[in-house]
Amino acid sequence: MTRYLLDVENPNLDGYEKAGGYQGLARALSMEPALIIEEVKKSGLRGRGGAGFPTGMKWTFAAGDPKFPKYIICNADEGEPGTFKDKAILEKNPHILIEGMAVAARALKAELGYIYLRGEYPKGKDILQAALKEARGKGYLGENIMGSGMRFDIHVHLGAGAYICGEETALINSLEGKRGQPRLKPPFPVNSGLWGRPTMVNNVETLANLPFIMRAGAAQYVKIGDPGCPGNKLFPVSGHVEKPGLYELPMGTTLREIIYGQAGGIKNGKRLKAVIPGGISAPVLPPDAIDCPMDFVSVQKQGSMLGSGGVMVFDNDTCIVRVAHRALEFFERESCGKCTPCREGTSWLRAILERIETRQGREGDLQLLEDVSRNIAGNTFCPLGDGAASAVLGFLRHFREEFEEHIKNGCPFGPDDHTRTVIAR
Amino acid sequence: MENFPAFSPGALARLEEIKKKYPPGRAALMPALHVAQEDFGWLKPEALKAVAEYLELPEMTVRSTATFYSMYRHKKTGRNVIRLCTNVSCLVLGARTLKGILEGLYGLAPGNTSPDNRFSLEIADCIGACGSGPAMLVNDDLHTGLDAKKVIEVLENYK
Amino acid sequence: MISITINGRKIELEGPVTILEAARKNGIEIPTLCSHPALELWGGCRMCLVEIEKMPRLQTSCTVTAADGMTVYTETPRVVAARKAMLEFLLINHPLQCPTCDKAGECALQDLTVRYGAVAGRFEEGKRTFPENVDDPIIVRNMERCIMCTRCVRMCDSVQGASAIGVVGRGARSHVEPFSGGRYNCEYCGNCLNVCPVGAIMSRLHRYTYRPWQMDKAVKTVCSFCGVGCTMLLEVRGDAIQKVSPAFGKGVNNGLLCGRGMFGYGYVGSPERLKTPLVRKNGKLEPASWDETLAFAASRLLEIKNRHGGRAIGGMAGSRCTNEDNYVFQKFLRAGFGSNNIDSVARLGLLHAQGLLEGLFGQGAAANVITGIAGSDAVLTVACDPAQTNPVMGLQVRAAAKAGRKVVTIGHARGLRRHRTHSLPTVFGAEGVALAGLLKELLRMKKDSLPGENLELEAAIKEFKLPEPEETERLTGVPRAAISDAAAALKDVSTSSIIAGRELAASMDARRNFMLLAAIGYIINARFFLISERPNEQGLIDMGCAPDLLPGGRPVSLHTFRESYEREWGVKLNPEPGLTLMEMFEQAGDAVRAMYIMGENPAFNLPGGKKIMEALEKLDFLVVQDIFMTETASLADVVLPSKAWPEKEGTYTNLEKRIQKLDRALEKNGETAKEDWKILAGIGKHAGLNNMPYAASSDIIDELARVSPLHAGLRLKDLEQEGMMWPYKGKPLGMGGHVPLLPPMRTMAKAMTTDAQMPGPGPAVEITGVVLEIEKPLFHSGTLSRHSGALLDIVGGPEAKMSPETGKKLGITEGGKVKISTANGEMVLKAKIEKGLPAGVVFAGNNFREAGALGLFGYELEPESKTPVPMVKDLEITPL
Repeated sequence: MTRYLLDVENPNLDGYEKAGGYQGLARALSMEPALIIEEVKKSGLRGRGGAGFPTGMKWTFAAGDPKFPKYIICNADEGEPGTFKDKAILEKNPHILIEGMAVAARALKAELGYIYLRGEYPKGKDILQAALKEARGKGYLGENIMGSGMRFDIHVHLGAGAYICGEETALINSLEGKRGQPRLKPPFPVNSGLWGRPTMVNNVETLANLPFIMRAGAAQYVKIGDPGCPGNKLFPVSGHVEKPGLYELPMGTTLREIIYGQAGGIKNGKRLKAVIPGGISAPVLPPDAIDCPMDFVSVQKQGSMLGSGGVMVFDNDTCIVRVAHRALEFFERESCGKCTPCREGTSWLRAILERIETRQGREGDLQLLEDVSRNIAGNTFCPLGDGAASAVLGFLRHFREEFEEHIKNGCPFGPDDHTRTVIAR
Repeated sequence: MENFPAFSPGALARLEEIKKKYPPGRAALMPALHVAQEDFGWLKPEALKAVAEYLELPEMTVRSTATFYSMYRHKKTGRNVIRLCTNVSCLVLGARTLKGILEGLYGLAPGNTSPDNRFSLEIADCIGACGSGPAMLVNDDLHTGLDAKKVIEVLENYK
Repeated sequence: MISITINGRKIELEGPVTILEAARKNGIEIPTLCSHPALELWGGCRMCLVEIEKMPRLQTSCTVTAADGMTVYTETPRVVAARKAMLEFLLINHPLQCPTCDKAGECALQDLTVRYGAVAGRFEEGKRTFPENVDDPIIVRNMERCIMCTRCVRMCDSVQGASAIGVVGRGARSHVEPFSGGRYNCEYCGNCLNVCPVGAIMSRLHRYTYRPWQMDKAVKTVCSFCGVGCTMLLEVRGDAIQKVSPAFGKGVNNGLLCGRGMFGYGYVGSPERLKTPLVRKNGKLEPASWDETLAFAASRLLEIKNRHGGRAIGGMAGSRCTNEDNYVFQKFLRAGFGSNNIDSVARLGLLHAQGLLEGLFGQGAAANVITGIAGSDAVLTVACDPAQTNPVMGLQVRAAAKAGRKVVTIGHARGLRRHRTHSLPTVFGAEGVALAGLLKELLRMKKDSLPGENLELEAAIKEFKLPEPEETERLTGVPRAAISDAAAALKDVSTSSIIAGRELAASMDARRNFMLLAAIGYIINARFFLISERPNEQGLIDMGCAPDLLPGGRPVSLHTFRESYEREWGVKLNPEPGLTLMEMFEQAGDAVRAMYIMGENPAFNLPGGKKIMEALEKLDFLVVQDIFMTETASLADVVLPSKAWPEKEGTYTNLEKRIQKLDRALEKNGETAKEDWKILAGIGKHAGLNNMPYAASSDIIDELARVSPLHAGLRLKDLEQEGMMWPYKGKPLGMGGHVPLLPPMRTMAKAMTTDAQMPGPGPAVEITGVVLEIEKPLFHSGTLSRHSGALLDIVGGPEAKMSPETGKKLGITEGGKVKISTANGEMVLKAKIEKGLPAGVVFAGNNFREAGALGLFGYELEPESKTPVPMVKDLEITPL
C-alpha cells in the first residue's frame, strides 16, 4: 500500500528529501500555474478539513479573481474533538505541508502564506518554525525558489483557543486580529478573504496531498482508494480500541477494517456499542453500520458524515448520555455567539442533557431535545450549530431507550465522580 | 521611537519582530496578546492597555478580541497552568476521575488556582491527543496516557 | 432590471438590493432585530428568515441579494415556525421585566412576541443573570436583556469609530461592556442606545419618568449646538423635552448625533433660565414688566442716537439665534438707528475665511454638502479637529478613513488620531507653513501638470516662493518626509475635501494661509468646508450681521445693492461700513456709547476678557438679550429674557449654507420669555419704528425673500424636508468670472521671496517652551453646556490638560492644581495628564464660569479683516 503523508523517518529536511520531498514543487515550478490547477482537478482531490469540497475547483475560483496580492492560508486549527491528524503532519512531516503550500502558491501566484495553527499545539509551532527556517535555507521558500524566480514565504500564526476558527471565514477574522466569528458569504474568501484579498484556505491534510500529486501525477493519484474520491486519508482512531492512533489508509476503507483490522478491535474484549465516524460533529453510528466505507458519500448515506475522519469508538460499558452531555458542553463553550439559535440553543441542549445525566430528567425532555435541535438545525449562521443539533439527534436516533432509562431510573452504568458531585449538590 | 515601559525589554523585542510580519493595525493583535500574557502572567487591564498602546488600537478592541479566545487568561493564574482535556475521547477513558483527583489533591476547581498558587486548572476541549488519552497540557508540555497514578507523578515535577 | 416575486407579488427592482430592502420598499414587513440601515450586514439574529424557492435552507433576507427570477415567501408556516423558534431562543434568557422596563412599548422583542404569539415556557433552567450596571452617569446597561444583536457595538466601531464598547466573552456568556466594565470612556454619542432594539442599553436621563406611549409628541428639529445642523427629534411630554431621538435616514447627519446634541438639552429646562426682564436701578438689576422695560430700552437708545448719532450704537448679533432674529437685529440697527456697527462671533475667523475663499473662487465656495466628505478620495483637515468641534462632520472624515481613503491632518486633530493616513502635527500656529511645504511638494511631484482649468490661478501658484523643505521642517517641527508622503498621497486624487478651522483665518498670515489652501485645493480638486462652532454662525453672515454686508452678502457701500433694501424698509441707509466687533469694544465709551448684545456672552467668549469687561462698563447703555444671566448680562442696564431654541420657530443656516427649519416643541416652557425678534420689534415700536410689523417669524422670511436677492423666492414650506441648499432659488453675488483676490494673490506670491516672511510659531507666545491653547472639547461648547446636567456629569469642571512630558517639565502631576497667569489675568485649574497630547502645550477650555481661558488671551487685530488674533503675553504656568 502506498503511504505518502507520514512516510518519513524524521521531521528534518534531510529525511523529507530522501523520501522524495520537494520534487513535486520542482515539477510545479516547471509548469504553468493553470496546468497545476488542471492537474489538481484531474486528481479529484477533495478537501480534508471536513466539507470535502473539490480542491481544484476552489483553486479555479481563486485563480479567476483578478485581484492581487493573493494569500494562501493553511488551516491548521484542528479543533474537532477526536481528531489529531493535522497535528501529526505538522509535528512529524512539516515539510510536506510547506511543499504543499508552495505548490498552491505557485498555482495561485501568491507570495505570502500563513499557517493558522491552533493555540493548543505550541510544540507544533516550534517544529514548524524550524522547518520553515530549513526550507528558506535551501531555497524552497524565499525570494527565488529553486532558482525559478518565484517568491513565496510563510508565517505561522498561533491561535488562542477557539474551535470556530476552523471555519475558514472565522479563521480569517482571527488572523486579522478580530474575534473569530464567521463572516457572511458571499463574498467568499477566494474573492475577498484576508484583508479583502483573494485568499485560498486549505486544510493541512489537503495541502499535504499536493506534493504526491505533483510528483507522481494525477493519473497515479486517482488509482489510490475510491475512484470517486481518491487518495489516502488519515484516520485518527480513539476511544475503546486496542491500538488507538493514526492510520493512513485509502479513502473508502470500511469502518470495520479501521476498527478491527487496523486498531486491533475493541479493548479488553468488550463489544462495540457505538462509533462516531468523523469527529464530534458527526452523528453517532450503531455497530450495524460499520461496514460503511469511509468516504464522503457513503458515510452521509448512513446519516452521518466523514468530517475530519476522527473515529471515536465506544464499548458496551459507555454511557451515551454522558458522552452526549460532554459533547454539548463542548458546543456550548465553542459557540461563537453570533447567531441566536446556536448561542442560545447549544446552552439549552447542554442544560437539558446535564439534567438527564444527573438524574433530574423529566418526562418530555427527549421531545424537547428533539425540538430544540430541530429549531437549531438549518437556521444557524455557520455549520457549528448544525453539528451540535445533528449530534444530539444522532444520539437520540440510535440510543433513545438509554436516555429514557436515565430519566426513569438514573444511569445504568453507575454515576462517575462528576455525576456524584452534581447529585450531592 | 516611543517608549513602552509596560513591557519587559525581551517582550518588546518580540513585539518588534511580530510587527514586521503583519500589516499595520489589528492583525498583529493575537501574537501581541500571547507575548503580553507571558510578560504580565495574565491579561490584566494594564496588559491589555499596553498592547492597545503599542499597536495603536482602541483598548476595547483589544479586550473584546482577547476575551473571545479561551487560552487568553483574564485572571491571575498559578505558576503552572494545567489544561486537562475532558472531551469525549478522554472522557470515556476516565478524564473525569482525573479532574476529581486534581480537585481533591490540589484543591483545584476548573477555572481556579490552587491555594498555594502552584497550579491553575482549565478544562480543555480536545488538545489533539485523543489517540493517547486521557491527556493534559501543563504549560506547553503535553502529557498523555494519564491515569490516577501518572497524573500525580507528572504534576510532582511542576513546582 | 431585476424582477422577483415576494408572496406571489411581482416586484421590479432598479438595482441589486437585499430581499429585506426589496420587501420593505414594497410594504412587505419582515421582522428584524440585528439589521439596521446605518450598519453593515450582519445576519446574526435569524429573525428575518424567509423561504426562497430552490434553496433548501431558510435564508436571512437581510443578507441575501435579490437575484432576477427569485421567488420568495415571507410568512409560510415553515417561516413562521422558524421565527417562533428564534423568539423562543431569545426569550429563554430574557428577563420578563416589561412592567418595569423603560423600553416596554417601543421594544422590538416585545412587539415581535406580540406578533408571533408568546411561546409556552419550556425553558426551566436558570436564566443567565447580569447585575444592572449604573456606574456611568449617562448610560445604564442591563445585560440580561441583551439579545446580542451587536447593533450598539457595530455602531460604536464602524460608524462612530470610537470602539468604546465591545462584546466581551464568547457564546452564551458574551455581553457588551466598555473597557472598564463600568463607566464609559467614550464620546457619548448615544448612538449605542439609539440602536438598541431592547432595553439593554438606555439613557439614565429620563429613566423611570414616563412610558413611551405617554409621550405627547416628537418634534423634528435642528440641533442647537454647532454648525453642522443635525436633524433630531425632540420627544416631549408635559411640555418638557424627555429625550432626544435620532431621525435615521433624515438630515445631513442621517440619524447620527453627538454627545452635546444627544444629551445636552438639559439647559432648556434649567431653573436658572431668565424669567423676567431686568432693569438696573440704583446699580442693581431689578425685575420689571415687559412693557416698562421695552419702553425704557427704546427711550435710552433714542436718547443716545439723538445725542451722539446712530453710529454711537453698536450691536452684536447672536450665533444661536435664528435667521429671523438676526435679520431683524441688523434691520433694527440699520433701519432704526442708522448704524452699521453690527457684528458677531463670525468675526473670530469664519467671516474672514469665507471672504478669502469666496474672493478666489466666488460666492458659495464653501457651500458644500457634508455627506460628500465620506465619498472623497482624500480629506485634508487644517488647524481643526472636526470630530470634536463639528462632531458629525468628523464622522464623515472617519467614514472616509474607514473606506480606505487618504486622510491628512495638519495640526492637532485628536478626534481623528485613529482615522487618518497622514498626520502633520505642526507646532501651533505653523499650520500655514505646513501648507506651504505641502504645496511645494505637490508642485514638485506634479511638475507642470496642473489641472489647466484656471490658468490665471495657475500662473499665480507658480509664482509662489515657497520655503525649502528643511525650512518647513524647522518652522513646523514636522519631518520633511512626512510632508512629502502626505503630498504623494494627495497628488493623484480625483476628488477631495478640505476642512479648515477658523484659526487659519484668525492669524496675521490669514491671507497667505488661504492663498496656499486655495492653491492646494485647486490642485487636488477639493470642496471646502469651514468649521463653524455655532449653530447659526453662517446665518449671521447671510443675514447681514456684518458691518459691511446687507442680507444676502451684498456690500452696504454699493448703491445698487442698498437701494432695494431702502425701498422695502422705507428708510435711507448709511452707506459707510460700521465698526467691526473688536473695534466696537475698543471704542466703547468713546465713539460707541451703547451696545445691544443678543444671545452672546462677549465678556467670556472673546479674547481679552478683562478688557472686554472694562469696555462694557464704559458704555452709557448696555442691553443684553439672553436665556441665562451670563457674565455679560450681569453688566447690562437692561436684561431681556429670550426664548430658547425649542421654544420658537425659525431657521438656521448650517456650515454648508443649508437653511433648515426649527419647529417649536415646547409651548409653556419659557412662557414669560419672548422671541428675540419680538423683543427687537417691541423696542422698535416704542422707538417709533413702524417697519417691523411681524405677526409671526414666517413674515420675516417672506420679507427676506422679497428683499435679499440671494433669498429671492424662498418659502418656509420649501424647507420642510431637508431644508434648502445654497443658492436656494436666489441669485448669488455674481463675480462675472472675475476673481477679486487673484491680483493681490499674485502680488503676494511675488513678494514671498524670503523664508523669513513665512510665519513662525504663534499665536501663543512661547515661554519656557510651553504654550497655552484653548481646548475645544467634545462635551462643552461655550456657555449653554454648563447648564446641561448630563454634560456636567461627563466632564464636571475645568481642567488644564497636558501630556505626561509637559507635566513633568512643569512639575505638574495628575489632579494637582495649576496656576496659569498671563498679562491678562490668572486662574487656577485642576491638572489632567493625558497621553497623546502634543508636547509643550497646556490646554485649557473656555466653558466654565470663572475659568474661561480665553480671558487669559490678549489679541491683536489682523489689519485687513480686523479679525482678533489671540495672543498670550507673559505666560507662566506653575504648580500650586
